[in-house]
Amino acid sequence: MYLIPLLLANMLFAMTGEELSILMDNRKSPDDISSDMNMEITNKKGKKRSLKVKSISKDNSKKQILWFLSPADDKGIAYLKIEHENKDDEIRLWLPAFKKIRRISAKKKADSFMGSDLSYEDMTSRPINNYKFSIIREELIDNNECYILKSEPKEGIESEYSKHLTWVTKDKYLPLKEDSYDNQNKLLKAKSFKYIDLNSFDLVSEIFVENIQKKTNTLLKLSNLRVNTNVKDNLFQEKNMKRLPRK
Amino acid sequence: MFEKHIKAKLINSTLNFPVQTLCISLILTILLSIGLKWFIIDDDFVKLLPQNIPSKIIWDEIQDDFGASETMVIAFGNKNESIYRKDVFDAIWDLTVILEEYKGIEEIISIKTISKLESIDGFMEVDDLFPYRNLNKNDIDEIKKYIENNDDIRTRLISSNGDYTSIMIRPEIGINMPALVNSIMPLSENILENFEIHYAGQVYITGTVPSLIQEDTTILMQLALLLMVIVLFINFRSISAVLLILTTILLSMVSMFGFMGWMFKFTGLFIFNFTMMNTSMPVVLLTIANSDGVHVLTRFFREARKKNDVKEAVGTTLNALFLPIFLTSFTTSIAFLAFVFSPIEQFIGYGISLAFGIMWAWILSTTLLPSIILIKKWNLESKFIKKESILEKFASYIGNIIFKSPRKVLIGGFLTVFISIFGFKYIEIEVNTAKFFKEGNPIRESNDFVDNELTGTMNFLINTVGDHKNPTVLKDIEGIQNYLESFEKVNTSLSIVNMVKQMHKTIMDDDPQYDNIPDQKEKINNLFFMYSMSGDEDDFSSLVDTYEYDNGLVTGLIKSISTKETVVLVDSLENFISKNTSSNLETRISGLAVFFRDMVNLIITSSIISILVSILVIFIISWYFFQGASWGFLAVVPLSCAVVLNFGLMGLFGIELSHITAILTAVIIGVGVDFAIHYISEFKRNLNKNIDLDEISKHNVDDVGYPILLDALSNMGFVTLLFSALTPLNYMGGLMVFAMLSTSIGTLTLLASLIELNKKYLKGI
Repeated sequence: MYLIPLLLANMLFAMTGEELSILMDNRKSPDDISSDMNMEITNKKGKKRSLKVKSISKDNSKKQILWFLSPADDKGIAYLKIEHENKDDEIRLWLPAFKKIRRISAKKKADSFMGSDLSYEDMTSRPINNYKFSIIREELIDNNECYILKSEPKEGIESEYSKHLTWVTKDKYLPLKEDSYDNQNKLLKAKSFKYIDLNSFDLVSEIFVENIQKKTNTLLKLSNLRVNTNVKDNLFQEKNMKRLPRK
Repeated sequence: MFEKHIKAKLINSTLNFPVQTLCISLILTILLSIGLKWFIIDDDFVKLLPQNIPSKIIWDEIQDDFGASETMVIAFGNKNESIYRKDVFDAIWDLTVILEEYKGIEEIISIKTISKLESIDGFMEVDDLFPYRNLNKNDIDEIKKYIENNDDIRTRLISSNGDYTSIMIRPEIGINMPALVNSIMPLSENILENFEIHYAGQVYITGTVPSLIQEDTTILMQLALLLMVIVLFINFRSISAVLLILTTILLSMVSMFGFMGWMFKFTGLFIFNFTMMNTSMPVVLLTIANSDGVHVLTRFFREARKKNDVKEAVGTTLNALFLPIFLTSFTTSIAFLAFVFSPIEQFIGYGISLAFGIMWAWILSTTLLPSIILIKKWNLESKFIKKESILEKFASYIGNIIFKSPRKVLIGGFLTVFISIFGFKYIEIEVNTAKFFKEGNPIRESNDFVDNELTGTMNFLINTVGDHKNPTVLKDIEGIQNYLESFEKVNTSLSIVNMVKQMHKTIMDDDPQYDNIPDQKEKINNLFFMYSMSGDEDDFSSLVDTYEYDNGLVTGLIKSISTKETVVLVDSLENFISKNTSSNLETRISGLAVFFRDMVNLIITSSIISILVSILVIFIISWYFFQGASWGFLAVVPLSCAVVLNFGLMGLFGIELSHITAILTAVIIGVGVDFAIHYISEFKRNLNKNIDLDEISKHNVDDVGYPILLDALSNMGFVTLLFSALTPLNYMGGLMVFAMLSTSIGTLTLLASLIELNKKYLKGI
């Protein structure tokens, strides 16, 4: 009984959801990325605030160091994250006023990152094994032919979302937009992504996230992007948090 | 001349074409009653509050920035049994989880929703205090340890003996509270079936009171109506007479509510919906329509006895009563129309609709009622027409007493009123929603329980404007909180300072000496930053504007507070702030208690103005229609004395002057003016008939004393409202009874003796 719809789905689309997610995961990525990030957060009353951060990351952002440049109150604060496969991630914060480095807990996935509309879950990749994938239809967005990929967390996987619908380009497997639904299956966030081509890497240059329920939004723009600058592992150490990099 | 022409035309058409008159008045009433299709009963209490009071504007702004300030509290547990048990935690979890999904709820504050901020090996952890449902004993012990070391949480959520815990529900602004409360209660009773439950908080009270008032009013009004029927029947000794009065009352009522429906349809204004504030409308209209009917029927029976002819008796009755009933209806309507100047918008609709209802009752009493009397076959030999009733004899007896020594009666009456003036200085202005319920009532007891054992049932708000990362500002706020907490009625207070101190201690490895505000702005900024990376800044959103940190809120969790105590608290606090805070901090004090303080003053002032304006208008109308300023003066004497007596007795008997009692006093004018007008009108008729001056007052009391007494007595049924558990209904019943007694007695003593003593002068006008 179940075989018929499955066969029909396979006949309709040239690939399965799993295959598409693997292709997305296998996209070529640089060893390291340096950038300046500008985050503009708008609350439901239209009030805006922005942060400027210098970021260097390596190994698909498994190692990341951020130096906060503005607002002036936050200047000098630094954040270091090292993700581990089999144990909790290490997150450290340099607090210049206290002259102390403090470890902070690996956050609850649904908590917001720096008060923005991006949660920690939004900022980490989705392990393929933790999700069920299916392609539900195809659509044309800004002249890009896209698959609409449905990703649902498997039973037992903790997530703030019940599902995501992602518009993935057929040619480069780049997500162009994504709707994420909460655990009551109501639309929670609508995200859109822009890319630049740098040294033949398609790098995210802009993310716009709108929290539909809270009526807030966040625009994250990346500039001065540089890739494969031979960032050393020893950059991701506590001592490097205390000083802002020259460039 | 013009009035006389209309009067003659209307009386003639009723007398000569009773069937047609009856049909026309019925058709018009039916047309009005079609409006019932759009008649809406609205129990949203918030809509009734005046919107333009400065403290309401500040309160709204604060709520707009930080969310609703008032909550519904569900406290539960078992007396003398610790709450640190698995069944209690399961119940907290289950109820919180369900409520979190509820539409219309902004936030749930319970042990389940509290974040735990801890320092473990230099590791700052912000996590859920109660992370999963199936806790074991160790988990519960850990939670207990954390709560006991954290005063802010303990005071808010755990009773002083540790045997009750509370779940606080913060609704979204503008939500219909009765609907929310009524849907939450069955749910919580189901989950908490093994516990003792106490509901409290302003949201609960405002959500419960309207429906309780409606339920109590419906039952007690039916009882009042039954008593009215019994009194009327004993006196009329005729079922037909009682049914005629009831028909007039019922049709007037239907027309008034129909009118409200039509008005709502055409204007779309909510002031024409029936709310808690309109509860007294049926009571007032019932009184007035009954009064009109009683006057017409008693007069008809007296005239039928004399004339032995129905048509002639009806003609005389209409000639005698057309003007007084019109005047009483007109003046009463004007008194209620004075409500259009009320600061509470709902009273504009109340005044207009009631004024319409009263005028419609007049139309029915002078058209429909005499038409049916004419159509019906009366046995003029029956006892109820031929023989005087007990009350009729009693009225005659009273007349004899009063006119034996009118001077003594007058002096005695004025002396009583004068003595009551001494009660003025004991009048206390007071609004305390907890006192809406009598002592011993379960709702009041639950409220008292939460006041005394838990966080309290009200919130006191201080909006702080300044740089909330500046240590001077935070220390000023800390000083304000310490001062606020020194008041007996304040259980605890909460602001961003509590969070800053806790974060400071945490970052300094839980060293208690750092449980204070850091002395550098940079450090405070670092603390906020650290929290934003580790927890969720939204956790602070009810304490400070997490965007610019320039706007904050100190919330004092307080017990139900009286208006007098609010005045003391606000004055002391303002004085403290002006002397002890730096120029970097600006503050604005508000909250429900402060708003009540301002609202009650505004309503009392406007009610007093409305009373004075009504008395003036009645004076002018009576002057015009009775053609003499002296008549105008006489018309307002019993009424003014009743108002003075009312306020004086309120002071002497410790009845607080609240927005409810102030408004109801204004209602006295409406129901109390009738008797004096009937008395004066009859006296003028008797003067015109050249009745002997020695006999004229006695004659007058014989004619109008009986309907006045019957009218007053038949309205004594409102005494049933005194048995309600809700004090607003007690006040309403008490004041209606008082209005009837004071104005009827005032008319038959003060006015009657005043006229008797000045009859020669009055004849010469």
